[in-house]
Amino acid sequence: MMSATDEDLELELRSLPGVLNVEIRHLENGEVDVVTLIVNGQDPSAIRVMAKQIVSLYSAEGSVVVEDATTAFRPRSAEAIRVNLASTSFDHETGQCEVELNFAGRIGVGHSASGKLIGGVEATLAALRDLTLNVPFYLISVVNVATPRGWPVVVTLRPFARDNDLLGIAQGDNDVTSSAMATLNALNRVLPISNAD
Amino acid sequence: MSLANEEVDHGGDIANGSGYEPWLFQSMLDELSINELGIGFVYSVMETLAKRYSLRDVIVNLSHESFGEQMFRLGGQAVSAEMAANIGTSPGVYCDPDVVPPEELGAVRTACQLALSLHLARFSAAHDPLTNIANRRTFDSALEAAAARSARYGWAFTLLVIDLNGFKNINDTLGHAIGDDLLRQFGVAMRRSVRSGDVAARIGGDEFAVILSNADGFEATGFVDRLRCNLKAASELLEFSVGTSTSPRDSTDPTELFRVADARLYEKKGLTH
Repeated sequence: MMSATDEDLELELRSLPGVLNVEIRHLENGEVDVVTLIVNGQDPSAIRVMAKQIVSLYSAEGSVVVEDATTAFRPRSAEAIRVNLASTSFDHETGQCEVELNFAGRIGVGHSASGKLIGGVEATLAALRDLTLNVPFYLISVVNVATPRGWPVVVTLRPFARDNDLLGIAQGDNDVTSSAMATLNALNRVLPISNAD
Repeated sequence: MSLANEEVDHGGDIANGSGYEPWLFQSMLDELSINELGIGFVYSVMETLAKRYSLRDVIVNLSHESFGEQMFRLGGQAVSAEMAANIGTSPGVYCDPDVVPPEELGAVRTACQLALSLHLARFSAAHDPLTNIANRRTFDSALEAAAARSARYGWAFTLLVIDLNGFKNINDTLGHAIGDDLLRQFGVAMRRSVRSGDVAARIGGDEFAVILSNADGFEATGFVDRLRCNLKAASELLEFSVGTSTSPRDSTDPTELFRVADARLYEKKGLTH
């Protein structure tokens, strides 16, 4: 079990802006040796100064290393691993949408019977899960909007845990394709690289 | 390592057949009083989980209203920037291998979130938010306890009441942001100057107090010298005055000790109550 002093040190370090993770390594005599902080979205040198001050209040010798995760957290470029739409179809008799996706050489298929727009999104999410990707988002809205150049579809997805919605917009040959493309447009920016395993 | 979040549908295929035990951590909780739940508990829970399922690694990702996103890794290890980015911002419990039933991961995450919140609540209740030294409530109870020990066993301690000189002028001329920063630096200087077992507290806007344990008055000079030295390194804008009282010599009543130290402080500043 950690000592109360180490717990408070870690609590103070985690209270610094942008600190995601803390590692405290000790010397054999129990003194703090090296503190490593993982920081996102903050100036690492400024955080290091603040952290060094806090650590010095607990240990005279402890050094501080700050690793900046900001670059790693940036949305990946279009060249990065992404899910591609292979095909869509809509069965007018059964009202069933089918979406086929291609990801890293694998094919995922999803179905939904919720109409062309909602069904297009639901089938895309089902296909992503069929690809064993984790998709911790749910559908908030899907609408097609009138523009001088056609009827693109706008999809709004919300993470399970937070309210920063994802928006995707796309226009395909039909509503199902537009919905599927807009869903991928939203998700391809955030699907974790870990999903690629 | 993949996301194993209780909100994500896993289709029930990752359970290893051991069955979900809703009170898996009850025995651990029973060993701790609510006042002991803290960051250490988060690591204990992760360790228990790792042992139970022979996991190579566990990362708990929490989203806390006060701290923002927080990641904890088994054994207190660092999460590399790349690993943090891979995990992303979705709160959850990540296990390698991914064999833990989602319900159990949900229980782990809730327990960790609770422990972090309780630790923060406990820390906030005892500390001044600006300077991170003890607040008035903590100081009052520490003074009462020290006075009681002094009355019963004759153990000596010294109380220092400290007032920043001309601090109102600093706030008025340089602004409250700089004033706050100076108070923060004064808090740091106080923490650097006390010995283990002493209590440094902010008891008012620009008023501070220190309880020097096992001190019969002479130690106060050493503390004040250290404080001046540490303060000079941080800021030359701040000056302070000190009034002291010592128990049991001056009194063993906390209120009286505080009154005596306060009166001496005002005497030094050339002021009267």
